[in-house]
Amino acid sequence: MQESNVKQIVDNLFRHDSGKLVSVLTRIFGAENLEMAEDVVQDSLVEALNQWTYKGIPDNPSGWLFMVAKNKALNIVNREKYRRKYLSDVVHLLDSEWTAEPALNYIFSEKQILDDQLRMMFTCCHPSISSDSQVALTLKTLCGFSILEIAKAFLTTEENINKRLVRARQKIREDNIAFDVPEGSDLEPRLAAVLETIYLLFNEGYSASGGNDLIRFELCEEAIRLTEIIAGHESIVNKANVYAMLALMYLNASRFKSRISDRGDILTLAEQDRALWDLDLMQKGFYNLEKSTADKTLSIYHILAAISAYHCSARDFESTDWKSILSLYDKLVLLDGSPLVLLNRAIVLSKLNGPLSALNELKKIEETSALEAYHLFHSTRGEFYLQLNNLNEASESFRKAIALSPLQAEKEHLQRRLDLCLKK
Amino acid sequence: MKDFLLLIRTEGDVWTSLSPKELQEHIEHGTAYIANLMKEGKLKSAAPLEKGSRIVTDAGGVMKDGPFNETKEVIAGYFHIVAKDLGEAVEIAKANPIFRDIRTRIEVHMMKTIPG
Repeated sequence: MQESNVKQIVDNLFRHDSGKLVSVLTRIFGAENLEMAEDVVQDSLVEALNQWTYKGIPDNPSGWLFMVAKNKALNIVNREKYRRKYLSDVVHLLDSEWTAEPALNYIFSEKQILDDQLRMMFTCCHPSISSDSQVALTLKTLCGFSILEIAKAFLTTEENINKRLVRARQKIREDNIAFDVPEGSDLEPRLAAVLETIYLLFNEGYSASGGNDLIRFELCEEAIRLTEIIAGHESIVNKANVYAMLALMYLNASRFKSRISDRGDILTLAEQDRALWDLDLMQKGFYNLEKSTADKTLSIYHILAAISAYHCSARDFESTDWKSILSLYDKLVLLDGSPLVLLNRAIVLSKLNGPLSALNELKKIEETSALEAYHLFHSTRGEFYLQLNNLNEASESFRKAIALSPLQAEKEHLQRRLDLCLKK
Repeated sequence: MKDFLLLIRTEGDVWTSLSPKELQEHIEHGTAYIANLMKEGKLKSAAPLEKGSRIVTDAGGVMKDGPFNETKEVIAGYFHIVAKDLGEAVEIAKANPIFRDIRTRIEVHMMKTIPG
């Protein structure tokens, strides 16, 4: 067996199984020993890589990996039982002859693995952990991302990501953050925090195209996978927001691959080839959007999903229903009056009332919020001026946007817009 | 819910009378029973006991410890379970597959716990 082949299979397996394994092992060891769970999974993978390179890949690689992790966990628990204190509610079952085997089978059953992943989400997204660290920890523990991959996805250094992870684990230990799904009145705000983090994770993958596209799409897929676990779980009673977020992510993800041209350039909604939109994902989006409206809940996710749905259902850019989209933005502003939402609303307004009224809108936003350092504010203003043929102002805005944009592909896109102004 | 202590009483060397196949089946039955209790959230802990227990008595002011008389009846192990009442705890004890293979008596004790 070629070593590189084995490595590829292990990498693939790692993505899909490591989140499950880390979650289950954290249940056994307790959240305070999270890093130990991560280490055991890492060791198991190294062992798989070594064994399989020599002996070939077993028929059921996943089962093999789980077996190794299971045995390692049992060994550690029994080796360290008098040295280490565990807060876990199941660990004591692993040191009796009568209960060890049934307990392991029970803990590693499909249902428990799902439960543990949900518990892990609530632990990683605990409000006392900073939001940067929440996202990093979720990716590391639940999605099997390496520190290097997380660093690439967030355009930062490995050292930086590691610091965030260390801080998060420390917080879990210090604050005795439980490995559990909150109950009663705690559930709703905690669920909102989990969804917020997952949405952040999705957007990190979705927004523009910095770094590695493959990793970025995987971020989106992982965000959807985690949300599907929440949506399928019986302990979450009110799921309207969960379905709405799923709808939003599926609908946006369906357009993911059409946003970049073959040459790697960013394409605007108007330029995208709609035949490339992923109908399967889009259908899942509409399906979840319908489910999300079962009761009267109206969250930000509902509105954003509905906006996305209008874009998805337009045959071409020209037939986009801007009027309906604007009325959705008007609703959105009431729930989230952030400058970014106002900026997007101004873009919609320009389609209906022309660039001049949109520019007036931008002036209003500028007076009340700090958008001066935000590249999209300048690029949007540049587009409006360009439409008005005010080339001086347009060039000036594009220059500012280029200087502020963090992404190379975006800088290039803006440079082309600037060149257009200069040629006219 | 209440806590119960189930003491499994068997005769000393009863296990040696089982053939390897019987012993294997006995273990499988026990494992399934325990797995089921776990799934229902009723098992707090359970363990078999080693041989060679000692018994400590106060013989008129002098503490003595001697061997347990293990030829007759021994406590082979215990279950710490939760059940809604004594009746349910008794039913759980009755369902223990150990009865199928070995002459057994199970004591069912309700534990005095601090009310929650």
